Amino acid sequence: MKISDIILIAADNLKRNVFRTVLTAFGVAVGIGSLSSMISLGKGVSTNISKQMESNDLFTGLTMSSRSIDFDGSSNKTILSDEKKETVPLTDSILNEIRSWEEVATAFAEQIKPATIKLEGKSAVTNIKAIPLEMSSFYPFNKINPGSFYSSESEPSVILSKIVLDKMGITSSLDSLIGQNIEIITRVFDLDKIDLITSKKKQLPVKNDTTILKIKGIVQTSSFSAGIFNDGIFLPPLTCSFIPSIDLRNVYDIINGEQGKYGKYNTVHVRVKDFSMLKTVKLRIEDKGFSVFSIGDKLEDFEKIFFMLDTVLAVIGSIALIISVFGIVNTLIMAIYERRKEIGIMKSLGATARQIKFIFYFEAAIIGFVGGVFGVLCGKLVSQVSGNIANSQLGNFIDSNIEYFAFSWEIVFFSILFSVAVSILASIYPADKASKIDPLNALRRE
Amino acid sequence: MALIQVEHLSKTYKKGDNKIYALRNINFDIQEGEYVSIVGKSGSGKSTLLNLLGGMDTSAEGGVYYNGKNLLTMSEKELSYHRKFTVGMIFQSFNLIPSRTAIDNVKLPLIFSNYPIMLRETRACELLYNMGLYNRALHYPSELSGGEAQRVAIARALANKPKVILADEPTGNLDTATSAEIIGLLKMFNEKHKITIIMVTHDKETAHKVSHKTILLSDGEIIKITSNRNQ
Repeated sequence: MKISDIILIAADNLKRNVFRTVLTAFGVAVGIGSLSSMISLGKGVSTNISKQMESNDLFTGLTMSSRSIDFDGSSNKTILSDEKKETVPLTDSILNEIRSWEEVATAFAEQIKPATIKLEGKSAVTNIKAIPLEMSSFYPFNKINPGSFYSSESEPSVILSKIVLDKMGITSSLDSLIGQNIEIITRVFDLDKIDLITSKKKQLPVKNDTTILKIKGIVQTSSFSAGIFNDGIFLPPLTCSFIPSIDLRNVYDIINGEQGKYGKYNTVHVRVKDFSMLKTVKLRIEDKGFSVFSIGDKLEDFEKIFFMLDTVLAVIGSIALIISVFGIVNTLIMAIYERRKEIGIMKSLGATARQIKFIFYFEAAIIGFVGGVFGVLCGKLVSQVSGNIANSQLGNFIDSNIEYFAFSWEIVFFSILFSVAVSILASIYPADKASKIDPLNALRRE
Repeated sequence: MALIQVEHLSKTYKKGDNKIYALRNINFDIQEGEYVSIVGKSGSGKSTLLNLLGGMDTSAEGGVYYNGKNLLTMSEKELSYHRKFTVGMIFQSFNLIPSRTAIDNVKLPLIFSNYPIMLRETRACELLYNMGLYNRALHYPSELSGGEAQRVAIARALANKPKVILADEPTGNLDTATSAEIIGLLKMFNEKHKITIIMVTHDKETAHKVSHKTILLSDGEIIKITSNRNQ
């Protein structure tokens, strides 16, 4: 008996009770629809997050610091401490050495100063951050709009973050802000007020210092960009160093009486040329006695979380499919009772138990296939509608046009395959029952 | 050597502690090309014997040998082969599949025997043509008369060119004229194609008229075997 014969007989049998077949296939379609949409949701979420991280260069960035800063929190210390571990100072020579490594695209020391900024009569408290020229090719500085990145390390201009503008409540068009002056007010030590310790007035020995710079560009970051680039205003390193400000680390050094113990810098940001080089660079930096943090390093953790998410969603989606399996079993058992005599006739004509079994397997497979195809179509439709609704509802909070459901061809293919496989599994018991029908008994029943 | 040898064949049913014999110590031989009728009253064991000869039932003692091979000890696969190629069965109630047309019913055994797809249609048409049913090929069993349905059943039984046709009361549901027609067809296949026919009937007269050998059963036992070599 050829496969084409089995398919024809099975299809013919199913056609005889179209309504029941359609209902059973509908059950499978609901199951497969929910399963495929759940899997595509899981995939969509994980793919989107990974994609956003990748496009935002999160996987190529490293942050290094003196070993005594525990980024991971594995030693439950998140502040500077000088116990046990030998502290290696972060100096210019280290920075230059890292820059010279072949795998490294750029490395720069973090310079962050708290400041109040004033623009169009509105103000906000934020941080000013020194960003070197090499960063112009990395996210988010490769996507400055409107305006452009500064062209020298000492240019008296700034790049503004859109988040800061929103914080300030500036509503004028972004284009009109380019070229405007911005006031940067920082706090500096006021030595004249030092002797006030003995005076009656209690005042901190600080005063305001104002620097005026030009706005060169505006950067709009996504919700997935690295924290350092999300907020604040960005300056060329030399320009930044000319802005006077109280350095909190210096205060710490003064209190501890160990000025310069941690070197010139607290933190250095490193960009590798490719994600594949991240681990090597990380190990080399760690070998030098520094502590390193990278999101790329946490990729395995992300993958585990995404795998768990996929699994949980797949299990939820499978529930409907499991219910539909009972529908298939029921349909086939009904068919056995209805076709008992027919099976007896077939056996009397020489059909083997195996051939009878295969007729039932194929009946189930056809139901599974039809249900799978319609299920995938339903799943696609539901996910498309849900994705559009989610985008319209969450567009204000998250980047718009996120593809929440990644309905790939793999999902389509494997959903249909899974549907057919599950349906065949569901038919094992009825098929076995049908194959064991005694032809003599079946033909006696009139 | 006989085509079929039945040796010490007994079949029993249990009713409480009692053993009831459906067949008791049956012995006979059938030569190739013979027309054999099994006659007897209702409940005499005729159909039981025919089912054992067809490999539809194997729960019996003794032996039913086809070319020396005992059906009672055959595997399920061997029995399927036997039903497919060695014997063709005809039933009183025709046993056509109602959802299939006449030609599709005839093609069914060809499907199970892996007969070449391209030749199935031709073979089925040829068989229906021989039965005078060429114009009824696309009709469903419910659209056929009793005689036509039985002729379709005969065509189906002949599809895989079996050596033996087992007919269980083939005229039981038919009027006299149609019965004669069916018996005539079986006789023709027996004479022309040398197909061995084993027919169960309660009509002794017809049996004697057409058969080479008549086996008379009563209460599961052979009362008499009559040979009529003139047939």
